[in-house]
Amino acid sequence: MAIAEQRIRREFREVIRSEEVERCRIKVELVNDKFNELKGEIAGPPETPYEGGKFQLEIKIPETYPFNPPKVRFVTRIWHPNISSVTGAICLDILKDQWAAAMTLRTVLLSLQALLAAAEPDDPQDAVVARQYKERQDVFQKTATHWTNVYAGGPNHADDLEDKVRQLTNMGFEEDQARVALSSHNWDTAQATDFLLS
Amino acid sequence: MVVGGRGTVAPPALVSRFSPDMADFHYDPEKNYDEQTLEQQRHIEQEVASTQALVSERLSLNQLIKDYSMEDNIYQQKIQDLRSRYRDIRKTRGDGNCFYRAFGFAYLERLLHDKSDIPRFKEVVNQSKTDLVALGYPQFTLDDFFDTFLDVLSRVESSCTPEELFDTFNDQGVSDYLIVTWRLLVTCYLQRNGEFFANFLEGHRDIKEFCCQEVEPMNKECDHIHITALTSAVGIPVRVEYMDRGEGGLVNHHDFPECSKPAITLLYRPGHYDILY
Repeated sequence: MAIAEQRIRREFREVIRSEEVERCRIKVELVNDKFNELKGEIAGPPETPYEGGKFQLEIKIPETYPFNPPKVRFVTRIWHPNISSVTGAICLDILKDQWAAAMTLRTVLLSLQALLAAAEPDDPQDAVVARQYKERQDVFQKTATHWTNVYAGGPNHADDLEDKVRQLTNMGFEEDQARVALSSHNWDTAQATDFLLS
Repeated sequence: MVVGGRGTVAPPALVSRFSPDMADFHYDPEKNYDEQTLEQQRHIEQEVASTQALVSERLSLNQLIKDYSMEDNIYQQKIQDLRSRYRDIRKTRGDGNCFYRAFGFAYLERLLHDKSDIPRFKEVVNQSKTDLVALGYPQFTLDDFFDTFLDVLSRVESSCTPEELFDTFNDQGVSDYLIVTWRLLVTCYLQRNGEFFANFLEGHRDIKEFCCQEVEPMNKECDHIHITALTSAVGIPVRVEYMDRGEGGLVNHHDFPECSKPAITLLYRPGHYDILY
């Protein structure tokens, strides 16, 4: 059996199913029986805009695991400086050059949860979100909470933002597209419309 | 012949094939450039893997002569100097793990012939594992690596032949498990002696950050500080012969720790370590 598969099997047996994992509200499931593709889920940490949301992750295990990191991407759309609002790609050191073989999928999921609680806007994956985070923290908080509500099942509905999205969809724009345009332009409807038309 | 660890290892053709033509470069926010960089690194690693064994057979030092042009007086003179003191060389792959691989192979090969150091060494390894758990490292992954490490050590103690040791070190999976364990031994010693080693760190990093960035990840090269930590941690003194472009025609060496009687000898050429006999 390949080392990567053997290791993932052991991780499943000894780590993923532990009580501690339950407590932190992280989850990993198999997608196929080859152990090279997994589905992860993390709960948004309390006292953040992501609270109450559940975020799905795509996890791909390279043949060279655990010597190289797993490839992880957010499937659930999220508004966060270190995660692409378009592709879900993640900017996190341990998923790149600071991965060590002594780490596990559990380490990765807990680190991602920690990243949701403490963004690093100076090392962004999504420059637009990072700028808003630094310059308009209030708008950022509101937008991230809204995205959590719409895409991750979070509890906080924002009628004012929904109205703005509806204004644009009534003009014929697609809903997700409208939301991205509004979010990227600090919810200025005129600017968002100009952007969508350009 | 290319000499070097990671970064210096790609032949020029390989580098130019991958470097984007900056004049035509347009940033595309939809693209994941980090992933592309990683992909490119994997590719370079595969190229290296297909041309260099993890650990080579024992070769005559005469082989080195061919690695440099005959007009390269500095290196040709130094090879002659080396030949006056050593007979053979065993090369390791230039993948950034070469120091650990060379050190590990040379030491275990020595244990095949003289097993007296094994009980002491096993105790050191077990104690380090306990220390790492105390430092907060997950028991699960430590078990994974240390079990493999101790298993190889037990085989050396009981029945392993030199050929089997050679095969073990050239089995990428097991070989890399051993590398991870050596790296863990280094990180453990550095963190337990953080106050002392902090004096040698450049920039604003503390010892934990240094370990996360320069010790624990695979393919990160060894510097003086790693070698000092490893030799002190495991009590295995090493001599390093430094062959670089410096004038003088003689190869200088350094012993870790100083004034020790070296158990193994390695050859350093900028960015790379091999074993000397």
